[in-house]
Amino acid sequence: MNDPEYTAVLANVVKHFKSGPVLVRAVDGVSLQLPRGKMVALRGPSGCGKSTLLNLFGALDRPDSGDIVVDGIDVGRLKGGDEVDYRRRKVGFVFQMFNLMPSLTALENVMLPMELAGGMGPAARKQKAESLLERVKLAPDRYTRRPTRLSGGEQQRVAIARALANDPALILADEPTANLDSTTGGQVISLLRRLADDKRTVVVATHDNSIAQKADVVISMSDGKLMGKWAEEDSEAESARVSS
Amino acid sequence: MTIFRWAWRALIRAPLRGSLLVGVLAVSIGLALIMITVDGAFAQRLDDIRASVGTDITVRPAGSFGGGVFGFGGPRGGNGPGGALATPTPAPSDADDDSQPTITDDDLQKLTSIPNVASITRVVTDVYQGDTITAGTVTPPGNGGQGGPTFRGPNGQGFSPPIIVTGTDDPNTLSSLATGDTEITSGRSFTTDDAGKNVAVIGQAIADANSLAGGDTFTLNNVSSDGTETGTTTTLTVIGIYSTGTTFGDNGIALPIETERTIFAHTDTVDQAIVKVNNVDNVDQVSNDVKNALGTDKADVTTAESAFTAISSPLSDAKSSSQVGLIAALVASAIIILFSIGIVARQRVREIGILKAIGASNWNVVSQLGIETAFIAIGAALVGAIATFPLAQLVADGLVSDPTTGTGGPATNVGGPGGGGGGFFVAGAGGAANGTNSLLGSVDVAVSPSVFAYALAIALGLALIATVIPAWYVGRVRPAEVLRYE
Repeated sequence: MNDPEYTAVLANVVKHFKSGPVLVRAVDGVSLQLPRGKMVALRGPSGCGKSTLLNLFGALDRPDSGDIVVDGIDVGRLKGGDEVDYRRRKVGFVFQMFNLMPSLTALENVMLPMELAGGMGPAARKQKAESLLERVKLAPDRYTRRPTRLSGGEQQRVAIARALANDPALILADEPTANLDSTTGGQVISLLRRLADDKRTVVVATHDNSIAQKADVVISMSDGKLMGKWAEEDSEAESARVSS
Repeated sequence: MTIFRWAWRALIRAPLRGSLLVGVLAVSIGLALIMITVDGAFAQRLDDIRASVGTDITVRPAGSFGGGVFGFGGPRGGNGPGGALATPTPAPSDADDDSQPTITDDDLQKLTSIPNVASITRVVTDVYQGDTITAGTVTPPGNGGQGGPTFRGPNGQGFSPPIIVTGTDDPNTLSSLATGDTEITSGRSFTTDDAGKNVAVIGQAIADANSLAGGDTFTLNNVSSDGTETGTTTTLTVIGIYSTGTTFGDNGIALPIETERTIFAHTDTVDQAIVKVNNVDNVDQVSNDVKNALGTDKADVTTAESAFTAISSPLSDAKSSSQVGLIAALVASAIIILFSIGIVARQRVREIGILKAIGASNWNVVSQLGIETAFIAIGAALVGAIATFPLAQLVADGLVSDPTTGTGGPATNVGGPGGGGGGFFVAGAGGAANGTNSLLGSVDVAVSPSVFAYALAIALGLALIATVIPAWYVGRVRPAEVLRYE
């Protein structure tokens, strides 16, 4: 299943969990392939399983069944140190609530994944973190501020820089603009778009059509299943072969 | 950025929570440190007492056991083992009474051949009834020993206790007289050259009451074997004056044993003998050998160890209390920090989820929590250690002054005739110990800087314990679950 054309390949992935007495079929037999270096929008209403699917991509959760292969790694069967290493090096997360560490400055938040991954000295980490913050266009005077002293848009920029810290193959963004005004949200989407333009695979879970319009591939979900069609919003988009 | 800075930042992010945690934990750790310090002081004091009691074995005529010289049990029958046990016992009126067993010089001679016997000191004591000198006045503070009614003067004021005359053949040092805390305030004690001479070391109360000083002379009426005065006197020269710190204890006269026997018409009997053993490990064996040599129907044999046990029991109790306190404080500390950090971990479950999502291992997260815990514990331990300095002595005093001691007290505690009172001067087991309160009343707690080492050890131990729950908890956190409902 290690196809260089695709960053990730899912085959009949199932993830159910209980919410009280109710069995939630968050991901229900999904199969898909994500083309490498594209921006993919996962679109659907709240509770349709978008976030769960992102979590499965990111090894934050394990599927009940099925296969998830990212860059040749069988993510669903990772355990212990391998799972941690995968999270460190293969994926970068951008959350709806930014989820920056409140006790660290913007710069330190970006340096943190590099420190966890190891292999770089403090000076190199700092230099790279500054470079990433510059890339996401955060003003330098914000580098030493803690998250509580940054605006929502600024926090999300820091979060994107943090997601890029270890040069992951896959960026997973879960409703990254949900807590931002439209202007700031647009800027964040532009940032993600540029990442894809730089040949990095970006998966954005969203229910915002304006974001979907900027994606190379749009995948619609409903009740844990992929809809029977895929949408091609960009004329140059690669096809994402979808089945459910 | 190191994990230490990371942990420190997380800690100071909630200063109130951190301060409260440090404060509560400081109380527990401080209490533990105080108990460690106090326990050490008690142990040292017990060692001191053991050393002061030494390796002596007291041998008395059977049935005459007790009889602190200045206890009202009197020289020929007083209380139990001196100040330690104030149990009234029947007292023979006279050691030379034919109905009572006696111990003679010949008997004691047998003991010299027992292995590990270092020396044997003979002691005789008598109450002086004559009127050539007067006793100092004692004002009892209240009921004293438990052996009988308290002596008081006719008007409830002071009274003059009997003057106790002690003769011993080993007067080189005051310790040979078993006078414990007795201090020569003027002149000197005996030397071997004084044997058989008409010299005396007198108590301060006698000196004051009779205006005697070193070099002065006084006379004692000689007594016949039936206890009546012979009409002759012996003139004695004062070579030294001692003080025990109590008027009662200072109403005594010490003489070379030959001189005492001459005045009181004793032949070769003794009221007690102090058998000194060469090593504390041999005390029990020598004690048994002495019993076998003299026979239990002839002599009561008391080891220093038994006296030590009786004397030190209050201190041992206090030591036990301090150990219980130590354990309780440590358990309390462990529980406090365990649950506090457990709660902190739960409160920060989202943060843990984020950390794991961006690549932190369980070890990374647990390390951070562990270091945070260590910071808290070390801070608390420092506060606790500093608090130990002023508080340890107070706690020690409180534990030692526990009223459940059951001691008869030293000579100042005046029991009734035939009981109570404590031996002071040559009173064997009890007398040797010079009363319990004087031994127990001053446990000096010296807080050493090593308390900081203990504090650090406790802090690190607690930090280690406190990471158990977070480690278990962090291991169970699945990032997707804690981030699912954001």
